[in-house]
Amino acid sequence: MSMQHVKTLGALMRRELWENPGTFKWTPAIIAGLTLFFIVVALAIGARFDAELAFTLDAIRTFAQEPADQRRLFMAGALYSSSALLFQLMILLVLFYLAGCLYEDRKDRSILFWKSLPVSDHMTVASKLLTACLLLPAFYLIAAFIVHLVVLLIATGYGLAAGVNPITTFWLPSALPRLWLVIALGLIVQALWLLPIYAWLMFCSSWAPRVPILIAIAIPLGVSLLQHAWSLLSVFGFPDFNIGLIMLMRFGTGLVPTNLDMQVDSTAHRADFTDVQFSEELFMNFSTLFGHLLKPEMWIGVVIALALLAGAAWFRRRATDN
Amino acid sequence: MSLTIRARNLTRHYGRTHALDGVDLDVPSGRIVGLIGPNGAGKTTALKAILGLTSFKGELEVLGLNPSRQRDRLMQDVCFIADVAVLPRWARVWQVIDMTEKLHPRFSRERCMYYLKNTKIQHKQKVKTLSKGMVVQLHLALVMAIDAKLLVLDEPTLGLDILFRKRFYSNLLNEYFDEQRTILITTHQVEEVEHILTDLMFIKDGQLILNSTMDDVHERYVEVMAKPDRVEEARALGPLHERVLFGRHIFLFDRTDLGSLGELGEIHRPSVADLFVALMGDEYDNGLAGEAAA
Repeated sequence: MSMQHVKTLGALMRRELWENPGTFKWTPAIIAGLTLFFIVVALAIGARFDAELAFTLDAIRTFAQEPADQRRLFMAGALYSSSALLFQLMILLVLFYLAGCLYEDRKDRSILFWKSLPVSDHMTVASKLLTACLLLPAFYLIAAFIVHLVVLLIATGYGLAAGVNPITTFWLPSALPRLWLVIALGLIVQALWLLPIYAWLMFCSSWAPRVPILIAIAIPLGVSLLQHAWSLLSVFGFPDFNIGLIMLMRFGTGLVPTNLDMQVDSTAHRADFTDVQFSEELFMNFSTLFGHLLKPEMWIGVVIALALLAGAAWFRRRATDN
Repeated sequence: MSLTIRARNLTRHYGRTHALDGVDLDVPSGRIVGLIGPNGAGKTTALKAILGLTSFKGELEVLGLNPSRQRDRLMQDVCFIADVAVLPRWARVWQVIDMTEKLHPRFSRERCMYYLKNTKIQHKQKVKTLSKGMVVQLHLALVMAIDAKLLVLDEPTLGLDILFRKRFYSNLLNEYFDEQRTILITTHQVEEVEHILTDLMFIKDGQLILNSTMDDVHERYVEVMAKPDRVEEARALGPLHERVLFGRHIFLFDRTDLGSLGELGEIHRPSVADLFVALMGDEYDNGLAGEAAA
């Protein structure tokens, strides 16, 4: 990978940013704004019921006396949940972005302009994938940082009013550098975990004659229905292997940076809470992140993704305006 | 003399239609080639094959590269404009220029600005707010600012006013074209390009019916406006095409003895448009010319 390749990738990724300002800039800005708006409204309503804020300030003073690990647990929970909506909607937007990324320019014929530039089809596919896995999450991460900072600033105001030290009560227990690093790494591991689904959408986007997102959903849905129908007819039971459910499971067991870190023992059909520690580690931590990287399912998924991406590049090479 | 395009038995089928049917082609560098044909004759398919935008059977080399496998490398030296403006509609003018500059090593911003100087295009405008003509102007400015060896123009001036068309072709000839470059043009406005072409190709049903230099064309085809009393005589010589203008019969001949033709009437050099009609067969005619051309 030469310097020229890096420059080309950079230019191509900037193009994606220009093409989709709604997905990259406005959506995270609006969600962050709404989140903060609802927090302020909730506080204002609270202030109405609690004249002079007596109960609120009392609660803050009590909170300041709590043991350190309890404060860390609470702050991590508050900050994770304040940015939860951002990262959940991000996944949805990534899916729509990927479904359209190799389709839109075929539809409006601008593919003829893009193909007149000395950029290989592999490079094009790579730029769109990296945009979805790194660039797009980066914008939502920045929005999350801003939400976290504003939440902490509001808390600081309340803390000062309650006469507690906001640094030791709110800021230090939040451990922002650790929190942000774990979320950032979490987004990367999550992208890697969802890579087969991302690649499937790009694959459909590269050849679908119209509405690639519907085609991307209809194919696994149709296959699962056929599987179900066949196995109900042949063995009077549900199939052991179902592509649609496997794809849904992939989402369910993904690690949106708000998922609680509990190992659910699915064969025992009950949640196993024995190892759960009630500390900030409950939400997300480095060891579970890297634990995901050791799972064989992770790397099987990556291999499937690579095959689908090669398919997307193959179709892209043959794609023109009709 | 090095070949810019070399094709042998170039073939492309869409189902049962033969978009290209065994085309052999040699285009040396330093030429301006006009590829002329009716709609659906295979012009666009031929251009797409040359640009690596479609798969094909047979041999094809453009600047020594295989277009379908090495498109990205080929595009360093080839520029093209498709039949309608295809610039991304969501982009702003400065973004399009910026992207081309970043992605094309042979692009010169100064030259692009020079060509845009005389237009009404604003840098902050979005492409979708530009008129059709302005989009074409922008695209032409981008393409002419690239130092390419082969320029492919598919109906480049469609939808442009006559002033801009004139200026475009004069720019193309005076400022862009030189011995090192090759220009391949398809257009319906034959009369506008015929005096700048060095080579002429007619394509019909996926086959080249004419492939020669303009000099050869001028040497080979003659048009005779027959004297009223010599019409039957001229017809007997087996012209390619016959038409009537102001009551005078005009015959188009392929390499007949000029001496004897001179006696039949006035001799003219046929225009490309007349030659086109003669060789392609006028589908609106009563079959007379069609049979003659076949």
